[in-house]
Amino acid sequence: MSLRRQLTLSLVTILVLFAVNVGTHLWGSYARNESMIAYRKSVSAAQLSTEIEQLLNDQRQQVLILATLRDTTEDQLEAAELQQAEDAIFTITGKIQELEKLSDGITELNYERLWESSSHLLKRWLNFYRSYNNSTFDMDMNDPLLFLNASQNLKELEQQQAFLAGQRAEIIDYNISLTDRITIIAFFASIFLTASLGYYLVSYTNKSLKRLKKGTVQFGSGNLNYRIDDIDDTGELGDLADAFNEMSGKLRDAINDARKAKDDANEANEAKSIFLANVSHELRTPLNAIIGYSEMLHDELGDKKELDRPQFQQDLDIIINSGRQLLTLIDDILDLSKIETGKMSLHREMFNPTEILKQACEVLAPLLRSNNNVLQLGGLLDLPALNNDAAKFRQIFTNLLSNANKFTKDGYISVNARELPERPGWVEFAVRDTGIGMTSEQLSRVFDAFVQADSSISANYGGTGLGLAICRDFSALMGGSIAVESAVGVGSTFTVLLPFDPTLALADA
Amino acid sequence: MTSGKSVLLVEDNELNRDMMVRRLQRAGLQVIAAGNGQQALDIMHAQQPSIVLMDMNLPILDGWAASRRAKEDVLIRHIPIIALTAHATEAYRQYAFAAGCDDYATKPVDFPGLLIKIKKLTRA
Repeated sequence: MSLRRQLTLSLVTILVLFAVNVGTHLWGSYARNESMIAYRKSVSAAQLSTEIEQLLNDQRQQVLILATLRDTTEDQLEAAELQQAEDAIFTITGKIQELEKLSDGITELNYERLWESSSHLLKRWLNFYRSYNNSTFDMDMNDPLLFLNASQNLKELEQQQAFLAGQRAEIIDYNISLTDRITIIAFFASIFLTASLGYYLVSYTNKSLKRLKKGTVQFGSGNLNYRIDDIDDTGELGDLADAFNEMSGKLRDAINDARKAKDDANEANEAKSIFLANVSHELRTPLNAIIGYSEMLHDELGDKKELDRPQFQQDLDIIINSGRQLLTLIDDILDLSKIETGKMSLHREMFNPTEILKQACEVLAPLLRSNNNVLQLGGLLDLPALNNDAAKFRQIFTNLLSNANKFTKDGYISVNARELPERPGWVEFAVRDTGIGMTSEQLSRVFDAFVQADSSISANYGGTGLGLAICRDFSALMGGSIAVESAVGVGSTFTVLLPFDPTLALADA
Repeated sequence: MTSGKSVLLVEDNELNRDMMVRRLQRAGLQVIAAGNGQQALDIMHAQQPSIVLMDMNLPILDGWAASRRAKEDVLIRHIPIIALTAHATEAYRQYAFAAGCDDYATKPVDFPGLLIKIKKLTRA
């Protein structure tokens, strides 16, 4: 449960307990009030009953005395005396009627009995007074039955009222103790609940904050793989932990990105340094021949002995060839650098690949003869025109053919081309030789710049180690690819796959 | 000035080997040529040249390995070796000395400078 829901639930519980307290108090007050009214009624009724009893007794005494006087002295009542006696009777009647108002429920029956008997008694007494002065007066007032009856009923009512008063007092006591008990229980329950809620909140928040703190310490010390996952809250603290976790995740990604960018930059820097060192090395090799032979010839010209003209010419050729090799090397380096900085552009034009391949073979013819190699062309007649970079196409095949010739002596070199039936618009060119071939280890690095099969290759066969790197990059620029198969002592086959149009490669991808 | 001394030139590039042989001979040195590191070690044992000029990028056994082996071999360790390489960076200079070479020269060769180095190392 979320912290907010727990808090809400606890507060609602406390409010309910509070409401129970207030409700109990109100109900207790009401009940006490009701019982108190009833109790007072009972007490008043008991008092009134006592008063009536006294009045009845007094009245009986008076009636009995007057009756005796009448019998013995022919006594007469004066009008005022009669009026006073009647008033006394009416007062008693009024008091008894007052008692009716105080009687309800279980005492009503007792009252009715009292009213009946007392009415008889009072009526008789009234008759007694009114007929007192009559000469024919003849009433026996000694019969106590009516009086005793009324008196008895009054007593019973009185007892009943007293009993009720006691009972109601008990109810009041009971109500007071019950409401007290409920109030105290609810009070202590709400105090206990508030205290435990407070304690729980403090300890829970403390625990969660400690876990959050531990997490931030871990993050701060660089452990970004740490996860704050032991907060069992789906609310605010859980959200906070999630936010921290997300933050650490993003930080980790950012740091990894930065680290990778730095590594990449370092790698690029390293690659550039290696490239520069290689360039320096490659430039120095032909320059060594140029400077060395020039200095030597210069020295020989100063000799007194006769000049060996054929030898001199041969040495000059070496200087010229080395110079040309240097030029090719510089061009290759510039090409490669352009490719690597993305500045090598593609000049698309319609051209006939067969024509360019034939021209490249013609240029190569003298070198083929010097290595005693035979060149065979195949499949070139049916080739379609290509809408691609003709100059790059020419350089790829000049490089491949010159490589094939360089590493082959007294062998065969073939150039074959075919359209791919399964990929319309694609042409596959294969340059095969029967030369020295390569091991699989050499094959894996054959397209890397400045790499030749081994260091003796450049010494014995020449070349810069850039030609195949350029072939690979040019093929890719033209939307195609280059692959190689080779076996030591058997020969090598370089296969170039080119699209009719570079955009075709994009569409295929 | 350096006559009577024999120089072993270890170089796999034919043109450069030919050129260096001729120039060293013109300077009055006896020259023996080798095309790889293993051949160089064999010649050092058999002919005990006064000094070795060692190219570093060599087939079969490269110049660094050949120099290390020569300096571990009591029979030929006394023969001074000058590393001769187109690798012109400081790192390669360190590699050459680490392999036991006594001196270091870059290609293209400063020939008079090289002769001075040869003289220095063969005087003792």
